[in-house]
This record gives sequence, C-alpha cells and structure tokens, in this order.
Amino acid sequence: MNQVDEVCVSVREALPDFAAGRLEKADREEVSTHIAACAMCQEELQLVGLLFAARATAPRGLDDRVLDAVTRKPRTAHRPWWGLSAAAVAAIALGVGMSSDVGAPTAPSGNDFATEFEEGEFWVSDDGMLAGAPSLDALSDEALMELLEELAAETTGGAA
Amino acid sequence: MNDERRLEEEQSDAALVEQARSGNPAAQGSLVRRYHGAAYGVALSVTRDEDTAQDVVQDAFVKAFAALDRFRGDASFKTWLLTITANEARGALRRHKRRRETVLDDAKPVAAAGMDPAEAAIVAGEAARARGMLSDLPEKQRLSVSLRIDEGLSFKEIGAVIGSSEGAARVNYFHGIRRLRELMG
Repeated sequence: MNQVDEVCVSVREALPDFAAGRLEKADREEVSTHIAACAMCQEELQLVGLLFAARATAPRGLDDRVLDAVTRKPRTAHRPWWGLSAAAVAAIALGVGMSSDVGAPTAPSGNDFATEFEEGEFWVSDDGMLAGAPSLDALSDEALMELLEELAAETTGGAA
Repeated sequence: MNDERRLEEEQSDAALVEQARSGNPAAQGSLVRRYHGAAYGVALSVTRDEDTAQDVVQDAFVKAFAALDRFRGDASFKTWLLTITANEARGALRRHKRRRETVLDDAKPVAAAGMDPAEAAIVAGEAARARGMLSDLPEKQRLSVSLRIDEGLSFKEIGAVIGSSEGAARVNYFHGIRRLRELMG
C-alpha cells in the first residue's frame, strides 16, 4: 500500500466523524485538505453525509414510554415458583435432571432441556447476553479468517 | 432547562450508572434520555420495523436496569446497552418471523443551508434511498455502518455490539460502504 492509499484509508475511517462534526479542529482540517484533492474520498463523504443526515431518530415519546416500563415493577428472574410455566412444572414433576438413579441414562443436557420451551421462556438463558456479547478478540487467526470468508460470502449474497 | 436537568446531563455515565444501581429514578431517566435514540437506531437497524424497534428499546432498557449489578464497566454503558439492544432485537426478529419494511418516507429531511427547495428535495430523496439500501445489507454490515456513522462508535465498540472482533467490525463497515457506493451508482 503506498502512502496515498494509507492516507485515504485513514481519512475514510474518519469520514463518519467528519460528516457528523465530531472531529477536533486539527483533524477536521487535515481531512478537509485531503478531501479537496481526492475525488474518491469526496464521493465517499457524500454517501456518508447522506446516511448521517437521514439517520433514524427515535419517535417522540419513546423515552417516556421506556421510563414508564423501567419504573414499573420489573419482570425479573426472581419469578415465584408458582409463576413457572406449565411445561416447566411438568418437567420438574417428571424429574428431569433430578434423577437419583445412578444407573439411569444420563439426564438431558441443559441444551436439550432448553429446546423444549419457547424462546424467551427462561430469563436465566439471557444472562450471558446481559453480560455482553462474547468478545471474539481472543479468536485464532484461523477462526478470524473463517469469519472474514463468511463476511465475503454475505456480501456476495447481498448482491444477489 | 432547569438546574436539575442540566446537572443530570453533565454527569458522567459512570456516575449515573452508580446512582441508577440504587434505583435512583432521576439517574435512570438521564440514561434513558441519553441513549434511547442510539438504542432505537440499533433496534431499527436489526428489525427494520419501527413498532418492533420501539418494543425492543423498552425491553432492552428494562433488562439493562434489572442487570445493572452485573455491569462490570469493562465496556462503556452505551456499548453494553447497545449490545443488549442488538441481542434483544435479534430475539424479536426470531420471535416474529416476519419483517415489515421500514417506512422510508420517515427519513429525516436533509437540506443544507442556502439550498433551494428543489435541490433540497433531491438530496432528501438520495438520503432516503441510501438508507433504504443500507437496510438491505446483511445485518452485521448495516449495524457496523449505522453504529459508526450515526453514533460514532469505534470499531472495537462496534465489534462488541455485533459480536465480532474489532477487525471484523472494520471489514463489515467497509464492505457495507463499498456495497452502498456500488448500489448508489
């Protein structure tokens, strides 16, 4: 990659902040100077500017609606036992995962158990999500390559 | 703006989160006002349905506040909330199994100062067209583009929200932009 390309890459990364007025003065001037002389970056700025200008805005009153919901008594994981679904009660009654018979076949795994119920039935299943999506930074290069290939496939699919 | 509201808005996220943890409604209100728009953008980007997106935002905040004790502060509150919102939106999509197209007519009018009405209308039309095309991109691409442009998130933050690495988020963004440039002609 030559020096000009590197500048373009750097500028293109900054275009969203430039279009949104989020850059500091020095950075803004640097981007402006480059854009004035680069047709490709000008073209991309035009697109980024259009996307920013037409960004979604929350409907009026959504914040009040959310606040109402937040301050209502929350649906929490501390659901009383009588609040368990009929399916869950049935599962417990059948002794799923609670067999004391050592010689009995292995009880269904957590995943098998979960598939018996509608999605969203168990709040506990959301706990991992609440802790944030798993970071993939620790993935191997091989795994990342697979991901990139998947991304390329997605792009191709999007063109179809 | 009254002094109380100004004070709330000047507080850092960390301070507001700390107060919200103890159930302070003013702190919760500040966080909702500060981030409901960003959450809505993410929810709409994933679901492409305005009504569903509003439901998602509501549920995401309820879940986030219920789980605030588990927020470790590794990421910013905003990134954490948007991650919850994105996951909640994906869950809503799976539950509904159907999608309605976003009403593009609702795109925010675009007009630069000094632009004549005819020119402004053309630009607004182009902006709506760009947004419409964005909504047709694969989910990770459109989320990467939306979060980078609308919210100014870094690629590392975007990666956390979409469940990818920083590098993958960057690739998604540039794939998306390249595709949009092709589509826009």
